[in-house]
Amino acid sequence: MITRHEVDGVPAVLAPADGPMHAGLVFRVGTADETLPLRGITRLVRHLVTAGSGTIGPEHTSFHFSGTATGIADFLTGVCAALRNPPADLIAAARERMATVRDRDPLPMWRYGARGYGVASYPEWALPGLTADQVQEWIAGYFTRENAALWVAGELPEDLRLDLPSGSRRPAPEAVTVLPATPACFPGDGGAGWDTVVRREAAAAVFANVLERRILHDLRDGDGVVASARTEYEPRADGTARILAVVDAAPDQREAALGGLIDVLAAMRAGRIDTDEVDAVVKLTCDGLRIAEARGARLPGQAFNLLGGREVQTLDDALTEVGAVTAAEVAEVAAAAYNAGLLMTPGRVRADWAGYLPAPEMSDTVLPGRVHRGRGDRRLRLISGDQGISVIEGDVVGTVRYDSCAALLAWPDGARQLIGQDAVMARVEPTLYRDAERAVRDVDAWIPARLRIEMPPRARDRIPRPRPAAGPDTPREGLRPLLTLLLAGTFAVFVVAGGLWVLATMIAESARHGSGALTDLGEYALVAAASILFGTFAGRLAVDAAVELRDRRRSRGAPGHE
Amino acid sequence: MLPAMPPPTDVVFDAVAVYPQKATLRAALHSRDWSTCRAVLDAAAPMDRTALIGHVSQERGIEPFLRSVLTVDPADGTAAALLGTHLIDVGWEIRTGKRAKYVSREQFAQFREWLCRAEQVLIDGAMLNPGDPAIWKARLTSARGLSLGLAEVRRRYDRMQAADPGHLPGQFQMLQSYCPKWDGTWEQLHQFAREATEATPPGSPHAVLIVDAHIEHALDEGGLAEMVGYLSQPHVRADIYQAAQRSIGHPDFTRGYGWVGALSTFAMCFTILDDRNAAATAFRELGVLATEDPWHYLSANPAEEIRKARAWAFGGTR
Repeated sequence: MITRHEVDGVPAVLAPADGPMHAGLVFRVGTADETLPLRGITRLVRHLVTAGSGTIGPEHTSFHFSGTATGIADFLTGVCAALRNPPADLIAAARERMATVRDRDPLPMWRYGARGYGVASYPEWALPGLTADQVQEWIAGYFTRENAALWVAGELPEDLRLDLPSGSRRPAPEAVTVLPATPACFPGDGGAGWDTVVRREAAAAVFANVLERRILHDLRDGDGVVASARTEYEPRADGTARILAVVDAAPDQREAALGGLIDVLAAMRAGRIDTDEVDAVVKLTCDGLRIAEARGARLPGQAFNLLGGREVQTLDDALTEVGAVTAAEVAEVAAAAYNAGLLMTPGRVRADWAGYLPAPEMSDTVLPGRVHRGRGDRRLRLISGDQGISVIEGDVVGTVRYDSCAALLAWPDGARQLIGQDAVMARVEPTLYRDAERAVRDVDAWIPARLRIEMPPRARDRIPRPRPAAGPDTPREGLRPLLTLLLAGTFAVFVVAGGLWVLATMIAESARHGSGALTDLGEYALVAAASILFGTFAGRLAVDAAVELRDRRRSRGAPGHE
Repeated sequence: MLPAMPPPTDVVFDAVAVYPQKATLRAALHSRDWSTCRAVLDAAAPMDRTALIGHVSQERGIEPFLRSVLTVDPADGTAAALLGTHLIDVGWEIRTGKRAKYVSREQFAQFREWLCRAEQVLIDGAMLNPGDPAIWKARLTSARGLSLGLAEVRRRYDRMQAADPGHLPGQFQMLQSYCPKWDGTWEQLHQFAREATEATPPGSPHAVLIVDAHIEHALDEGGLAEMVGYLSQPHVRADIYQAAQRSIGHPDFTRGYGWVGALSTFAMCFTILDDRNAAATAFRELGVLATEDPWHYLSANPAEEIRKARAWAFGGTR
C-alpha cells in the first residue's frame, strides 16, 4: 500500500517492500529542458553531486540508493548538500568521469527538431565549455524543494533531512513537432526503428507489449529476419505517451526487417489484434504490476505522478485499469499510433512506397543576401543576409534563420555550423566559399553568445577542401581557368605588343615629321592607350586564372602535404 | 523418319484456350459483377487463380470498380490481389520491359508512383489475408520494381511459400529477382531454380524454372549466336534434358497450371539445340497452343517464330 508523506517540504510516496530498502529523490528536469548550448548539463549536475546511481530521462532526473536506512539518509542528505553548495572545483573531475560515448536515439530529433524533446538526439557538444555559473544557475532553476519528490521502498529513515534550496515547480516543456505530416519516415544509418505518440492510457501500454510480441513472433520466429526487438512505453507529463520500437537485424537482413516491421504495423492498424494475445499481455502486465508493487518498483512512477500534478495510483486502480483493456481498445490505439508514427529506415531504402511521407531533410526557402560562390564548385553557394544563412549544394538547401537558431558551433579555424530549431543545419566552411570570412563575421555578429558552442580545433584533414563539381560539368569547370589563362594570356601579349608597336611607330613618326603631325599622333596615342589598357585587362584575366589553377592544385593535393 | 503430317498453321496465345473461365471472368469484370468474378476465382486452384488474375489484370479502367469493392469489404483478398496486380501492370507498361538504362527518368518516376499505389493496396490485403498467395506473388513483383532489396523480396517469397508451397507463378517472379540484372547473382539464380524444382514431385512443371534460369543466363551473353552457344554447353544441355524428363517428359505430367508455358519453353530450347524429335514431341503436345514467353526473346513476332520452328520440327526445312 503506497502512502503519501512529506519530508522537509518535499512530497513523498512510501511503501513497504520485500528485500533491501531503497529510495530515490526525483526532480522534474530532464534532457527535454536542455538546449543545445546546455546539452549535458543535467548529467553534469548528477555526476557533480554524487558518484552514485541515478538516471536522466526526457522529463525527470533521479538519484537513487539501495541499502540501510542510515545509508539512504546519508546518501540523500549528501545529494541535497551538494546541490545547495555545488563543488565548482570538482566540475572538471565530474566531466572526466562522464566522458563516455553513448548511443543516442535519433528519432526525437526528426520529430521535435533541435529543441525540447528533440535535444536528446544531439551530442553533448557544450559539455567541455559549461561553466560553474551555468551549473549553479541550472541547479537553482530545477533542483529545488518545489521541483522534487521522494520515494522510499521500506521505512522512512528517521534522520532523513532534505535541505534543498527553494524554487518553483517547473512544468514539463511543451512537445512541439516539426513533422509536417505523419506517418513519416527518415533514413537512419543502422537498423529500423519506429516511434509514435499516443494518449497516455493502459490500452496504449498494452499495445506496446502486443506490438513487441508481434514483431518477435512474425519477424524473429517466423521470417527469421530480425535478431531481437523491443518496445518501450514512456508516459509523459502532458498526458501523452511515447511508444518506441527498435528492431535489430543483421546488415544483410535490414531491408527485410524494415519490410517486416512495416507489415506488422499495417496489420495492427488494420485491426488484426488477437484477443488471446491482448488477454495474455493484460495478464502478464497485471502480474508485473503485483511484483513491482511488492518490490517498491511502482514508486518512482508515482513520484513522477506527484511532480506532474497527478494522483498517486493504487495497485488496485492500476490493476482495474489494465484488466479492463480490450482488443478493440488496443486496435483503436494501434490505428492512432500508426497515424502518428515516425519510421526510421535502414540506409538508402525509403518507405514512401508504404505510405510514409519522407520527413523534411532540408529547407524549402533560400534567404536573401550576399552570395558567396563555391571555390571551384559552381553547385555550392552560401548566402549571408540579415535574416540568416542559406547554404546551397546542388538541389540541397540548408537555411537557418537567426531568429530560430538553436545553436552555433564555432571552430577555431573559422568554420561555423548553425543549427535551426527545426534541426536543419547550415555550415559555413571558409575554405569552400569565396570571401567566406565576411560570412563568418556576419554569423558571429548576429548569433548571441548564449547560443554559441566553442568546438575543439579540428585536425587538418577534417577541414574540407574545395573540390571540382561532380557530374558532366566537371571537365569544363576544371579546364576553364587553364583555357582562360591560355587565351587571355596570348591575347594580352598580342594586344600589348600591338600597342607598343603603335607607340614605337608614333615616336618614329614624330621624329621623322618633327612636331608637325600632332593630329595623326593623337590618333596613334588613342589606339596605343586603348591597346595597352585592353591588353592589361586580358593580362589580369590571365593572372587570375593562373592563381586559381595554382590554388586548385594545392586543394587537390593530399591532406597535410602542402 | 517422322510421320508425314501437316503442321497446324495457327498459333494461339489466348489463355481462354487453357482457361475457358477467363471469358466469364472478363465479361463479369466488364459488367462490374464482382460476385461472378469471385465465383470464378474462388473455384480455381491457387496457381490457376493467380494465373487468371494475371490474365485479366491488364484490363483497362478497372481501378475505380475494384476500389469500390474494397471499400465495401477491405478484407476481400481477391479484390486486393487483382487491384494490386492491375496497378503494377499499369506501372510496368509505362516503364516498359527494357533494361534500366533505356528507361527515361520520367518513366521511372511514374513507374514508381504506380508501384507505390499497388503496394499500399497489397500491404493491407496481405495483412488481412496472410494466406493468399496471389497477393504475395504481386508483392514479389512490386518489391522488385521498387528496389526494396533481395532480403525483402525473399521474405515475401517465404510468406508466399508458407501460404502455398511451390506457388509457381510467384516462383517465376522470384527467379527474376535472382537475376543479376535485378538483385541477385547467377549462382543464386541457378541454385534457386534447382531447389524450387527439387521441392516438388516429378511430373510437376516446376523444372521449367531450371530452363528459365538458363535462358536468362543465355540472354545475357549477347546475340542469338551467343545464346545458342550458351545453351549448347554440355552441362546446360544436360540440365535442360533432365528438367524435361522431370516435367513434360514424366508420366505424371498433367495439363494443370503451367503446362502450356513449360512445353512452349522446352519446344524453344529443343529448337535451338537442334533436336527435331524432342521439339516435335513438345509441339505435338501443344497443338496450336503456345506462350509468347520465351519465344519473344527470339523475335518481335513470336507467332511467326513458333510457326517456323514447328514446321521444321514436323519435317520441314529451316
